[in-house]
Amino acid sequence: MADVRKRQPKVCDYYTSEDGFSPGVAFCSGCVLELNLRFISRVLGPDIIFVGTPSCSAPVLHGQNTMAWHKHAYYACTMTGVASSATGLSRYYEKAGIDATVVCHTGDGCAQDVGFQTLSGAAERNEKMIYVCYDNEGYMNTGIQQSSATPFGASTSTTPTGRASKGKTTGSKNMPMVMAMHEIPYVATATLSHLEDYAKKLVKAKEAAKRGFVYLHVFAPCVPGWKIATDASIQVCRDAVKTNYFPLWEAEDGVFRITQKVKDVKPVEALTSTVGKFKHLKPEQVAILQGQVDQRFRMLQALCAGSAAVEAPAE
Amino acid sequence: MSSRGEAAERPGRWDVDDVQTWGPDKHQLGATIPCAGNSEEVETGGWRSQLPVIDQAKCSGCMLCYFYCPDASIIIADGKAVGIDMKHCKGCGICAKECPDRAIVMTTEEKD
Repeated sequence: MADVRKRQPKVCDYYTSEDGFSPGVAFCSGCVLELNLRFISRVLGPDIIFVGTPSCSAPVLHGQNTMAWHKHAYYACTMTGVASSATGLSRYYEKAGIDATVVCHTGDGCAQDVGFQTLSGAAERNEKMIYVCYDNEGYMNTGIQQSSATPFGASTSTTPTGRASKGKTTGSKNMPMVMAMHEIPYVATATLSHLEDYAKKLVKAKEAAKRGFVYLHVFAPCVPGWKIATDASIQVCRDAVKTNYFPLWEAEDGVFRITQKVKDVKPVEALTSTVGKFKHLKPEQVAILQGQVDQRFRMLQALCAGSAAVEAPAE
Repeated sequence: MSSRGEAAERPGRWDVDDVQTWGPDKHQLGATIPCAGNSEEVETGGWRSQLPVIDQAKCSGCMLCYFYCPDASIIIADGKAVGIDMKHCKGCGICAKECPDRAIVMTTEEKD
């Protein structure tokens, strides 16, 4: 066991450059979004252009006051125009013969609600870019309002808990699956607790972005929004994978594959009991959430089995 | 994109030590940022109430603290954690929680 632990992890093998983000980034203590940006920068290298929007990632990408927080090229645009602006950039770089990858980095609110129309359009046109959606399940930057990514039962400032309201009444939009149904070259889900898995997906994404649209859905808990301790965010990511709440999978040219198979799947209660926004849930509400999680995972398994069977006769 | 890491030498760097006392005459028109990556001058370490302390003898060199640290504040030498960037560490405690060897412990920091 000790030998297994002492083996040098392979995450740094995927690092192609030093961190493009400078220290001193004024995100909340323990925010995995900051780690996400640093990780993308380290793995994809310096030749990337970030396209961002008003969100938590806006100050880190725009810079704040007289401080710039990174050394990358960056284009700031409106929430509705992220994917369409990135289309222009990506087409320009291709025409000019510059080898650069356009990386859109937005939250779940922009990807799933506000900017969904342009995102869907860019995916349909199969534009050459990577779209990273960091999913913290709500509009955390503006004051923890619910978005279409907020799961069933979660407490937010617009779906509060009390006598009249018991958190969000509907489930979340299964966004990575929605994007997979656009039949783009590469779709994957990733999270910050499984960095090697994430790095492999980023490397694949960079290759696939030369052929067409790539969508990465990154599960990133929000420390104040989810009411968790500052040191718990990586553990929450891990719990989400272990409970199948956020399964890690990829769809490469329509072939679905689960990249992290969980042996002993924990009940979703293992996650909800540790996260403050789920603390109020009664057993019957947890059962509803569990039902939704199971239903989604069954569908994913069916897609994995089905897409593999389609490919088999061709061999 | 070839001038990475040369931010400090770039001309036109502002002296922002007394930025709190600047009036409208000193501020340039528009939100001009003098050079890339100058946020390293921001001392986010001032937010910290818990201080990570590394026990060098227990460190097995898995570098998980380095990979998971959101602030890139773990200093690595020869594959082992040797120190913390005190200017930028926010004291979130992820390094201590994720360390499989429990080589990092969080202690209450006393400030003057």
